[in-house]
Amino acid sequence: MSLSYWFEESRKQQDQERPRMESKEAAAAAQAEEDLLRDFERILHDDPLIDEVGFLHPTQFHSLLVDSTDKSTSQYFWCVDHKLAVSSSILPDLYRAARRAHSNATLNPSSSPSASDAALIMTHSKALLILCADLLTAWNSRKMVLSTNFNLSHLKDELRLCALILSYSPKNESTWSHRRWVIKNLAQHLQDMPELIDKESLLVKDMAEKSKMNYRAWRHRCWLIPYMKTKQVLDELNKSKKWAELHVADNCSFHYRRSLLLALLDGAANREDSLICQSEAYLMWKEELRWNETLIRRYQGRESLWNHRRFLSQWWVQHLLSCEETSLSNESLADLFLSQEIHLLSDCLGAPGDEFGETRVQVELAALYILWISEQDAAVKGKVEERLKSVGSLKEVLARACPEKSRLWTHLLHC
Amino acid sequence: EKSTAVVDGASLTKRSEEEEAMGEQGELAAEKHVRYIVTAEKKDSFESLVMEHLRASGAYWGLTTLDLLHKLHAVDAAEVVDWIMSCYHPESGGFGGNVGHDPHVLYTLSAVQVLCLFDRLDVLDADKIADYITGLQNEDGSFSGDIWGEVDTRFSYISICTLSLLHRLHKINVEKAVEYIVSCKNLDGGFGAMPGGESHAGQIFCCVGALAITGSLHHIDRDLLGWWLCERQCRDGGLNGRPEKLADVCYSWWVLSSLIIIDRVHWIDKEKLAKFILNCQ
Repeated sequence: MSLSYWFEESRKQQDQERPRMESKEAAAAAQAEEDLLRDFERILHDDPLIDEVGFLHPTQFHSLLVDSTDKSTSQYFWCVDHKLAVSSSILPDLYRAARRAHSNATLNPSSSPSASDAALIMTHSKALLILCADLLTAWNSRKMVLSTNFNLSHLKDELRLCALILSYSPKNESTWSHRRWVIKNLAQHLQDMPELIDKESLLVKDMAEKSKMNYRAWRHRCWLIPYMKTKQVLDELNKSKKWAELHVADNCSFHYRRSLLLALLDGAANREDSLICQSEAYLMWKEELRWNETLIRRYQGRESLWNHRRFLSQWWVQHLLSCEETSLSNESLADLFLSQEIHLLSDCLGAPGDEFGETRVQVELAALYILWISEQDAAVKGKVEERLKSVGSLKEVLARACPEKSRLWTHLLHC
Repeated sequence: EKSTAVVDGASLTKRSEEEEAMGEQGELAAEKHVRYIVTAEKKDSFESLVMEHLRASGAYWGLTTLDLLHKLHAVDAAEVVDWIMSCYHPESGGFGGNVGHDPHVLYTLSAVQVLCLFDRLDVLDADKIADYITGLQNEDGSFSGDIWGEVDTRFSYISICTLSLLHRLHKINVEKAVEYIVSCKNLDGGFGAMPGGESHAGQIFCCVGALAITGSLHHIDRDLLGWWLCERQCRDGGLNGRPEKLADVCYSWWVLSSLIIIDRVHWIDKEKLAKFILNCQ
C-alpha cells in the first residue's frame, strides 16, 4: 500500500466525517483545524525521510521564514532538507484535530481493518505521535494494523518513525517500548540479528550523547544483550570502552559494561562456546580492573567508577580465592589483590586537598569501597583488616573519611 | 475505613506518606497546594493536552495529596467517581488513562486507588478487573502492562498492589510473581526494570513494595539495599534516583518508602531531607 493511497484515503475521510456545526464560527474553526492537519499530514507524506522536528515559538518560526531562500510550505510549517519546523502557536489546534481524526478512524476497532481504515489509522496516528509520543492509544492502533500481516518494509518504517521521535524525545518510554515490539516482530522472521543489534546499539549511543544517563535508552541496549552471540558481546565491550572513558560520570554506560561482562560469565556456564567465554571473561575482567583503576586515579570522586570497581572486585576476589596459584612472593593471589586495593585507598587518603572538594569525595568513596570488599565474606574481612593495620582500623578510616555515613557503617561494623 | 495495602503489620501507603509530610509542618503552604491541585484541571494549553493520557494517574496524585492535607472534600466525590468509571473498559476489565484511551495496568491501579480514597470500591466489578490483571501475568511470573506485551517490574508492583486492594491477590501465581521479581535483584542489592536492569530507585520501590505486599521481604538483603538507598542522599540533603544523578523531590518518595519498608530509614539524615523538600516548594 503506497503512502499516497493512504493520504488520499485520509482526505476522503475528512471530507466525509466533518461534524455538523451549530454555528458558522464553530464550523470555520473546525475547518481551520482540519486544514492544519491536512497540511501537516501532506508534509509528512511528501517527505518520509524527515529526521528532525522542532516546535518553534512564532517569532523564531517567523525568522525562519524570512531567512529561508526556499518557499515555505505554509504559514505554520516549514520543511527543508528533511528538517521539519512547526510553529508552536498552532499546536493545540493541530493536536485536537489529529486526536479527533484518529478517534474517528479507530471508532470500530478490528483485528483485521480494511485497507482504507488501516491507511487512515497510520496517517493520523503518525501525525498524533509526532506531536505527542506519549499517546499509548496511538501506538497501539499502529500495532493493531501492523499485526495483520508481516511486512518488512512497514516494520522498518516504524523503526524510522521511532528514531525520529526519539531524536527530540530521547526519554520517551512509549517509543522505546514500541521499538522493542517491532524488533521482537523482526526477530521472529529474520535469521540474522547481528546487523540489527549493531544498528540499535549505535542508535542508543547517539541518544546517550544527547541525553546523559538516559535510563530508557541504555535499558534498551541491555535488552539487546540476550540476542547477542559471544562475539558480539566481546565486540560491544570493546566498542563501548572509549565512550565510557569520555563519560565517566555516566553510570548507565558502566552498568551496560557490567551486563556484558555478566553475559560472558553466563556464557561460560551455559553456552556451547563456554570455554572461550570463560577465558575471555577472565581476561576482560582483569583488563577492566586495571582500566578502572587508571580512571579512578585520573578522575577524582566519581561515584560511577567506584561502583564499577565494587562490582568487579566482588567476582574477582571470589575467583582468586578459588585459585590455587600463588604469586612470586608465595602470597595467595587474593591477598595480593587486596593489598593492591588498600594501597589504592592509602593513596587516596594521602592525596592533597583540592579547591573543588573532589579529593574529599574520593576519600569517602575509597573508604566505602574498602568497607564493601570487607563485607563480602568473613575470610575477606579478616584479610582486609590485617592489611589495613598500617593505615588504621576500618572504623577509624571510615570515621575520618565519611562521618556523614556513620549510621550506615556503625551498623555494618556492629559498633 | 479506607482500604490500603497492608504490609508486615504497617500500612504501606499511609505511614510512608506521613513520614513524607514530617518536618516543619508550619512551613508547608498547604492552602496553596490545595488551590494548585483543584485549579490544575482542564486547560487548553498544549502542555496540558499532551498530558491527557495520564489524567487518571494525575487524579490519584492530586487527590491523595488533598487527602493527606485533609481537604479531600474540596472535590465532588460523585463527579470524580463518575469520571473514573468513564475510563473503564468493560470488555477487558482495564482502565485507560482518560476517556477513550486504551486500557493499561498503570491507569487501572490509579483508578482503583482513587476509588479507595473515596471508599467506593463498590462501583467496581472486582472479579473482572482481577481477570484483566491475571491475564497479563506471563509464564515466568512477570507482568505485561497491557495486551501488547511490554514487561517491566513496575507492572509487577502495579498488578500486585491492585489485586491486594481488591482482596484478590490469590488469583495470580504469587510464587511465580515473587520469583520473577527476585530474578531482577542486582549484585548491588537494588532492582531494575527487568532482570539485569540497572538499579533505579523507582524500580526498587516497585520491587520492594511488591515483595512486601506478598510477604516476601526475606528475599531482600536489607543491609545491602539499605546501603544503596542511603547513598542516594546528596550533599544538599535531597535524594537522587541513581548514582551521579541530581537530587529530585520525587525520589523523596521512592527512596524513603523503600527505606521504611526495609526498616533502614534511620540511615539517612531526615532533617536535611525535610529541609530539601521544603526548599522545593
